Amino acid sequence: MMLRALLWRLRAVVGSRQIDQELDDEIASHLAEATEEYVRQGLPPDEARRAAQRSFGGVRQAKEASRQVQSFMWLEDLARDVRHGIRTLGKSPGFTLAAAATLALAIGANTAMFSVLNAVLLRPLPYRDPGQLAMLWTEDPTQNLREGRSALWDVEQWRNQSQTFADMAVFDATSTTLTGSDGAEQIVGAAISPNLLSLLGVQPTLGRSFSTEDAGQSLVQISHRFWHARFGGSHDAIGASIVLDGRPSQIIGVLPPGFQIATLAADVWEPQAIHERVRGGDTWFVVGRLRPAVTVDQAQAEMSAIARHVNDQLPAAERNRGISVVPLTRQMVGSQARLALWILVGAVFCVLLIAAANVASLSLARSVARAREMAVRAALGASGGRIVRQLLTEGVLLAAVAGLVGVLLALVEIRVIRAFGPATLQRLNEVSLDLGVLGWALAISLLTGLLVGVVPAIATLRRDMRPSGEESGRSVSGGAAARRVRRALVVAEFALAIVLLIGAGLLLRSWWNVNSVDPGFRPERVLVMELSAPTTFNVPGQRTDLYHRVLEQVHAVPGVENVGIIGDLFIANSREQVVTIERDDGTVSERVRFRGDEVSAQFFESTETPLLRGRSFSRADGPNAPPVTIINDAMARRLWPGHDPVGRRFKLEQRASDRPWYTVVGVVTDMRRQGLERETVPQMFVPLEQNPPRSVDILIRTSLDNPSAMAGALRAAVHRVEQNASIYGVAPLDQQFGTFLTQRRFETSLLAGFSVVALLMAAIGIYGLIQYSIATRTQEIGLRMAIGAQASDIFCLMIGEGLTLSLTGLALGVVGAWSLGRVGSSLLFGVTASDPWTFATVSLLLTAVSTAACYFPARRAMALDPMAALRVA
Amino acid sequence: MAPDKNDVLYGTLGLMVIKTLEAMGPLHGYRIARRIEQISGNQLVLNQGTLYPALIKLEQLGWISSRWGTSESGRRVRVYALTRAGRTQLQREEAQWQRAASIVERFLKISEEPS
Repeated sequence: MMLRALLWRLRAVVGSRQIDQELDDEIASHLAEATEEYVRQGLPPDEARRAAQRSFGGVRQAKEASRQVQSFMWLEDLARDVRHGIRTLGKSPGFTLAAAATLALAIGANTAMFSVLNAVLLRPLPYRDPGQLAMLWTEDPTQNLREGRSALWDVEQWRNQSQTFADMAVFDATSTTLTGSDGAEQIVGAAISPNLLSLLGVQPTLGRSFSTEDAGQSLVQISHRFWHARFGGSHDAIGASIVLDGRPSQIIGVLPPGFQIATLAADVWEPQAIHERVRGGDTWFVVGRLRPAVTVDQAQAEMSAIARHVNDQLPAAERNRGISVVPLTRQMVGSQARLALWILVGAVFCVLLIAAANVASLSLARSVARAREMAVRAALGASGGRIVRQLLTEGVLLAAVAGLVGVLLALVEIRVIRAFGPATLQRLNEVSLDLGVLGWALAISLLTGLLVGVVPAIATLRRDMRPSGEESGRSVSGGAAARRVRRALVVAEFALAIVLLIGAGLLLRSWWNVNSVDPGFRPERVLVMELSAPTTFNVPGQRTDLYHRVLEQVHAVPGVENVGIIGDLFIANSREQVVTIERDDGTVSERVRFRGDEVSAQFFESTETPLLRGRSFSRADGPNAPPVTIINDAMARRLWPGHDPVGRRFKLEQRASDRPWYTVVGVVTDMRRQGLERETVPQMFVPLEQNPPRSVDILIRTSLDNPSAMAGALRAAVHRVEQNASIYGVAPLDQQFGTFLTQRRFETSLLAGFSVVALLMAAIGIYGLIQYSIATRTQEIGLRMAIGAQASDIFCLMIGEGLTLSLTGLALGVVGAWSLGRVGSSLLFGVTASDPWTFATVSLLLTAVSTAACYFPARRAMALDPMAALRVA
Repeated sequence: MAPDKNDVLYGTLGLMVIKTLEAMGPLHGYRIARRIEQISGNQLVLNQGTLYPALIKLEQLGWISSRWGTSESGRRVRVYALTRAGRTQLQREEAQWQRAASIVERFLKISEEPS
């Protein structure tokens, strides 16, 4: 009935024209019927019609009055409900404040969390029609190569043959030296094909885009940030020249603020020729725009076919290549971060549900206390629907206030997240309160309001079914339905809290496991510096000499304990290669996935990586000495399982190749150079002198707890050796290590926080329920005591009631967590989703908390004076 | 929250409508108007147009429901019927009216006495 009235009104608002039409029809047929009757009574038709109109009265007035009834009544009712709701809430400020604050916190947290999800995952990328953009990757299953870069020559073939892609562009990050009046400086640059910007649909803020003719020219687009930093945002920047890698380049455009492609946000963007006569290396990232209405699956199918075709023209070793097409939106945020975000949003939503359940439970208790008020109203003629609507209005009012405060809280929280969130999460800097987020806040506020209002409403309706007389007198039967609902709410709260707690527990254990992983080196007090030799150092001997002198100079700086050099400290992926191994039972060639790097003599001392067997490198292992290598434990286990590898030999490629044999001189502990959570890969190290790379990482172990303080002195030491050497990326090693953990820390601490809040709320919920249960059962307790129940019996009765509920919730929650576990298992490290230790700990914790929450009210019940208790009624 | 009777029911028109529907079953607007006039022994001459706003209010309150149907003469008319809530309401109203009427009656008798 209530629903019908509501629909009716909704229709009156939405379909007013149709309703007018229906009213016209109705009145017309009324008049026709009346006329017909008058005709039957013997009047001539004309007169009959007039008589009918006379007895009807003013047709216009009738319509007008009807329309007024339709449009205003519901508004009046609403206004009356709201006024009354405000009055009622104002009359119990304690309840209102507690309820609004609880809901505001939950809504605020939800809004903030959703704003992260919105910015990182939901908001479209700032390109034209971003859904049609995709990254194209070279893959080679036989080389364990997934999402690899591509050669320009290959991309040209793809571009010419593809029907599904409208265009393809390439880009790559470069490290560029900017020479200004204040010396040389390393900045992040990008080489792009001239069509990249038009492919993305991005217009420069100032100046023009690249055209095809610009390819390979000394022209440059600059970032908005660079424009403001270097040119103060002046229009004079267009046409000005900057010196990049020793060559003057003319600025032709300024890109929009925050422009980036995939994860590349460079300061200078240079046009790269897209044609290549000789096939070069796999060095390019490729992005393509699908033709309108083409799906990623269609493109993938076509590109796979093209890959097979292109493979025929490739060298034999590369004929297993494929192409994978990945939507750009997917590329930006990895599947793990994606999953973690959804889980966090789900968790914080659970917190909201628990908060709403608590408030609903509170207002249910209030509604029982208000039973008399409701009964009086019903007696005065208020329909059940009317009363229900009143309660709903109160709930929505409460949630509206909470929503408003919650959004303000979210504004603060968003600032905190932007400041402290993990930098590894793409687009986190875009988190803000936009219309979508506000819409979400509104939606959850409304949902909360309905939830909070509908629970007491249902209980009230049930009560209404009974004749009103029963409500009077001593009967508390009206509370029975309410109490059942409240019990169910408490059980649900505990079940949700358990799921969150177990999730948090598993993440905490993973965190602990990740942190206790031995990285194979000690990052404290170590500073890492990236050094690249000047482009004029073409002969390997020159570079060796440079690095030796740098090592000497740096070592001489006071406070430096040790210094080492490695080609590349942190590694992203490793490739599979054919390796020929001398074993006891003969020489074999096998495919091995490993990583090779050049290191200086003192490298393992500077990282304090334990040498397990053999010796370190020395200066004697020079370019003309026999090739030697140090391998890590994983490599030793892979090549010579169960044997001491020192003194044994292997070489890269097939037995017949002319590559040199490496003799193993030492074995070192595995170093986690891919991050703590990845399996260690087999690694081999060769002396720096035998193949000095163009750019290297210098690791400097200092005596300072804050090694960054020495950065200036160390830079100066390097520049004393070679003025033109570029230094960049100076940072403490433990800080770089920390970035491996920031995202996990973010997820773990948020989920832990949410689950603690959930547990507290559930505890408050059960406390309130027991407290209330004692208040309504005072008489019963008095009676029980009067007929001989001991205080301890009463205590057990009350505690028992609480524990029954929390244990039921516990059981449901454990089942829920167990079945949900598989969803989030990829976020765990070193622990399974059904880890019994976590389940047991959380169950114990929850039982303890709920017992404590019941203990205090139960003690009070025990202390009741039976006589006083009986008299209360 | 009791609806204001004068406002909602136009005096007694609403009560008459639901009583009529209870007695006669579903009817269309014109039949309701005629029936009310007939029952009052044609003492009450309705301004039949005022019936429609009253019908809308009663429907909003959920006491009556309506659907499109056909009259005896085959015209498309909106037919109104009493709902369960309307029936409950009617009982309540009847009791109230009887009580009110008896009070007024008694009051009138008392005021006659001193004269």
